[in-house]
Amino acid sequence: MRESQSTVTSMAASLFAENTRSVRAISDEDIAITVEDLNLFYGDTQALKSINMTIPAGRVTAFIGPSGCGKSTLLRCFNRMNDLVDACRITGRINLHGEDIYARGTDVAELRRRIGMVFQKPNPFPKTVYENVAYGLRLQGVSDRRVLDEVVERSLKSVALWNEVKDRLNSNAFGLSGGQQQRLVIARAIAIEPEVILLDEPTSALDPISTAKIEELVSELKEKYTIMIVTHNMQQAARVSDYTAYMYLGKLIEFDDTINVFTNPSEKATEDYITGRHG
Amino acid sequence: MSTPASEQPLSTGSLLPSTERRQKLRKRRALRDGLSLYGVGAGGIGVIIALGLIFVYLFYETFPMLKPVSVEMETEFSVPRGADQTPTLHLTLDRFEEIGARFAESGVITVFSARTGAVRERLQIPIPEGERITSFGRGENRRSLFVYGFSDGSILPVRVEYPQTFVAGVRQVTAALSFPLGDEAISLGAGDVDEYSALAVIEGRGGFIVAAGTEDGAMAMALFTTRTNLMTGATQVTRSDYRLPSLGRPVRQILVNESLRNVFAIDERGHLFSYDIVDPANPRLLEEVELVDPGVRVTAAEFLVGSRSLIVGGSDGSVRQWILVRDEQTITPTLTMIRSFRPQPGAVTFIDPEYIRKGFLVGDDTGTVGLHYATSSVTLAMKPVSDTPIARLAIGPNNGRALVKGEGSDVMRVLAISNPHPQTSLSGLWGRVWYEGRSQPEFIWQSSSADDAFEAKFSIVPLSVGTLKAALFAMLLATPLALMGAIYTAYFMAPRIRRIVKPSIELMEALPTVILGFLAGIWLAPYVENNLPILVTGAVLFPLLILVAGFSWSRLPGAVRNLVPDGWEAALLIPVVLFTGWIVVTSSPWIEVLFFDGSMRQWLTEVGIPYDQRNALIVGMAMGFAVIPTIFSIAEDAVFNVPKHLTTGSLALGATPWQTVMGVVLLTASPGMFSAVMIGFGRAVGETMIVLMASGNSPVLNFNLFEGMRTLAANIAVELPETDVGSTHFRVLFLSALVLLVFTFILNTLAEIVRQRLRKRYASL
Repeated sequence: MRESQSTVTSMAASLFAENTRSVRAISDEDIAITVEDLNLFYGDTQALKSINMTIPAGRVTAFIGPSGCGKSTLLRCFNRMNDLVDACRITGRINLHGEDIYARGTDVAELRRRIGMVFQKPNPFPKTVYENVAYGLRLQGVSDRRVLDEVVERSLKSVALWNEVKDRLNSNAFGLSGGQQQRLVIARAIAIEPEVILLDEPTSALDPISTAKIEELVSELKEKYTIMIVTHNMQQAARVSDYTAYMYLGKLIEFDDTINVFTNPSEKATEDYITGRHG
Repeated sequence: MSTPASEQPLSTGSLLPSTERRQKLRKRRALRDGLSLYGVGAGGIGVIIALGLIFVYLFYETFPMLKPVSVEMETEFSVPRGADQTPTLHLTLDRFEEIGARFAESGVITVFSARTGAVRERLQIPIPEGERITSFGRGENRRSLFVYGFSDGSILPVRVEYPQTFVAGVRQVTAALSFPLGDEAISLGAGDVDEYSALAVIEGRGGFIVAAGTEDGAMAMALFTTRTNLMTGATQVTRSDYRLPSLGRPVRQILVNESLRNVFAIDERGHLFSYDIVDPANPRLLEEVELVDPGVRVTAAEFLVGSRSLIVGGSDGSVRQWILVRDEQTITPTLTMIRSFRPQPGAVTFIDPEYIRKGFLVGDDTGTVGLHYATSSVTLAMKPVSDTPIARLAIGPNNGRALVKGEGSDVMRVLAISNPHPQTSLSGLWGRVWYEGRSQPEFIWQSSSADDAFEAKFSIVPLSVGTLKAALFAMLLATPLALMGAIYTAYFMAPRIRRIVKPSIELMEALPTVILGFLAGIWLAPYVENNLPILVTGAVLFPLLILVAGFSWSRLPGAVRNLVPDGWEAALLIPVVLFTGWIVVTSSPWIEVLFFDGSMRQWLTEVGIPYDQRNALIVGMAMGFAVIPTIFSIAEDAVFNVPKHLTTGSLALGATPWQTVMGVVLLTASPGMFSAVMIGFGRAVGETMIVLMASGNSPVLNFNLFEGMRTLAANIAVELPETDVGSTHFRVLFLSALVLLVFTFILNTLAEIVRQRLRKRYASL
């Protein structure tokens, strides 16, 4: 790891934190996930083509690209949500801390506990706020009320929702606003102490204020979790991520420090996309 | 955009139709819009109106039962007597209630118009030379049988009927006098009696009995057995005389019931002596009963039609009903008071029972006429009619009119009575009723019998309970199967089999229920009866072997399991189910031989478990089969429509598919699954053909698995075709239809309310 010597003088530079790092120079213990020659087929259609990448731990990695480029599909490969899709076939490997998650005998449920996911549309369960957060713990067999209480409070505090909902923990989660629901869903995900959190366009259904709150939250959460975020919003990618992957037609076109991708892309296609000539 | 040279260049102006045409089109569109709006609206309202009309119609047919009874003074005229000044012994009306007859002490029967009092004709009883009439007795109203006692101790039974003839198409009703035992007076007893204090005649099966009692307690009885020669048609009468033991007290009234088994003699204190005359040569005193409170006299006592109930009126105005009750322990029946009616304001003077129903008119010494009904134990009317005590009453055979004559009064009054449905009180329909011949109050449905004097038993309780019982057993079978099937099909099954399985099960719903009922009644019921062990082995083996199969499957190495694609595991159960079925069926005879001495059916009887061939279990199976598609289809939709983002949300949190089903899917689908069950229940409640053919239709009141039932719907199907339009039975059937409709209505409304509330709570985004 070395400090990046940013020489970029464009306007975009002001968006970035000083201490961005280059993707090519991370040590092994900082690698959360490696993707090796990943191909994904929906029936006869190939949706992901030979993806190779290394996701650094404790950082935010953003996936950008035009609709249908396969970024959400790729994200869903990390917690094997694509297993639920009929006629979906995968070749290649994804290693989580060196273990192939597609290996035979992998406990998918445990994998998904380790790799949490937040979807585009807030999807709280038709339960109380409390039970939504406690759901994952109950799945893990926790039924001690004190433990649950503590985890619920801690999780809600870490998504800055505690003060807003502490008086209505026992009312239905559908009573919350969209932004609150999305934060609740994130709280639900982190309650079971995952290692990685996948965010699939988490703000696309939210208003700007809620979006700002989520982005702030993402920045805070990266202290503890490896975060991968799919977004259509390039400002968002630039604001929250440390690394950015640009995908196009199922291929990983460019993957680099966010600052490099946005200020000095090495590929022409990336530049076309981020400057609005494409997409 | 390149334009070939041969074509006109495209115009640059608007290509839309002209403003005028667009305006026209707008009008047309508005018209169509309005038409469809009102058309659809009218259709919807029409459906609601049609539904409302069904309710209205059922109410309309039921409503007459609620109409209050009316007793109105119709007309009055002076007692039609001609030159005859002797007192009135009795009054009757013909069945059209147009003409009446006054039986006078002179032996003259004056027939008169019941509208004007004009004398139509006079009939004379043959009185033995030099004698006079000293007593009079009556049989049952519907037999039109009376008996005169003469001063030489002889008697003469007479019959007064009203034959009708048509003269030029106009109905003419006349009175006709006949003598069933000959027109010669018959001496009864020793011949030393000149006046009987009580006289009775009864026509029973195989003969007549005339019984008489005197002031000094002597009682005599003559049994006339009639035998009709089949060849000649001539009737031969054999007469036997018997003496009953002396009462030692004045006999005020003597009564013989229609079965010719019991004689009741009532003394001046109001004590009744009940004799068994099955062997008339040796009459046995069964018991002595105090009919009224101490210090009260019995002033009138009369059998209701069928002579199973005795209505006793006292000098205190009390009106009570006594019946012979034969309970489990005692073989000899005991006379038991089963109900008392609203007392009359004065001492009862006369009781006249209705001809074919269990109602009766009571007159008292204040001149008040009361109309009571036994079965429903209600007093329908209480009306002051006469300013003098009531001497004689006569209700018409069709209960539409009554004649009233006051004591010492020369006025004959005619009452118009409207009382078509006296039996259907709320307590009579829904409560326990003590019916004639029963040992305790019960809920019974028995609407008809071969006997005219039958007391109809209209308790809706056994039918309602039967309906619930049938539905309950059907639901017990259908609900778990249908719901679990729905969850599996919607959530776990591969889409390819689901596309086959779901329509197949839904197609089952199209199976005519009459076929299901037919199969259940004709094939399944006898099959199960002959192979009872399959119930036990089936109930144990099917779940057990399916679980064992599932468990061993999960233990198989992955390589084997991967041969079967995800979601196709259910298909593996088909051979398991077939194999289990084979075991269950083939083992049945062996089990019977080994454990039940060859017949489990026989064994059940010996153990004391009642078993009907067509029982709740068979109905449960057949109707459960009919209800499964309804529940399955709705529940499957509900589970399938649980939003994907909720299930993926749960799975993404590390839940297994089973945890997701229990934690999220069932919760979210619960409104739909609930309404599926309720709609299935509604279907089971209203189902007719299956219960009609497979339940045995006996209106018993229990929840026994091995006994049948009769449901409201099946009862209507069975009985409506054979009831008289407009009769009480007819209206009670409509009432039961209304009950059924209200029942399903409440059920569905409840289901909808719960569903809406659940849906609000679990509304998915």
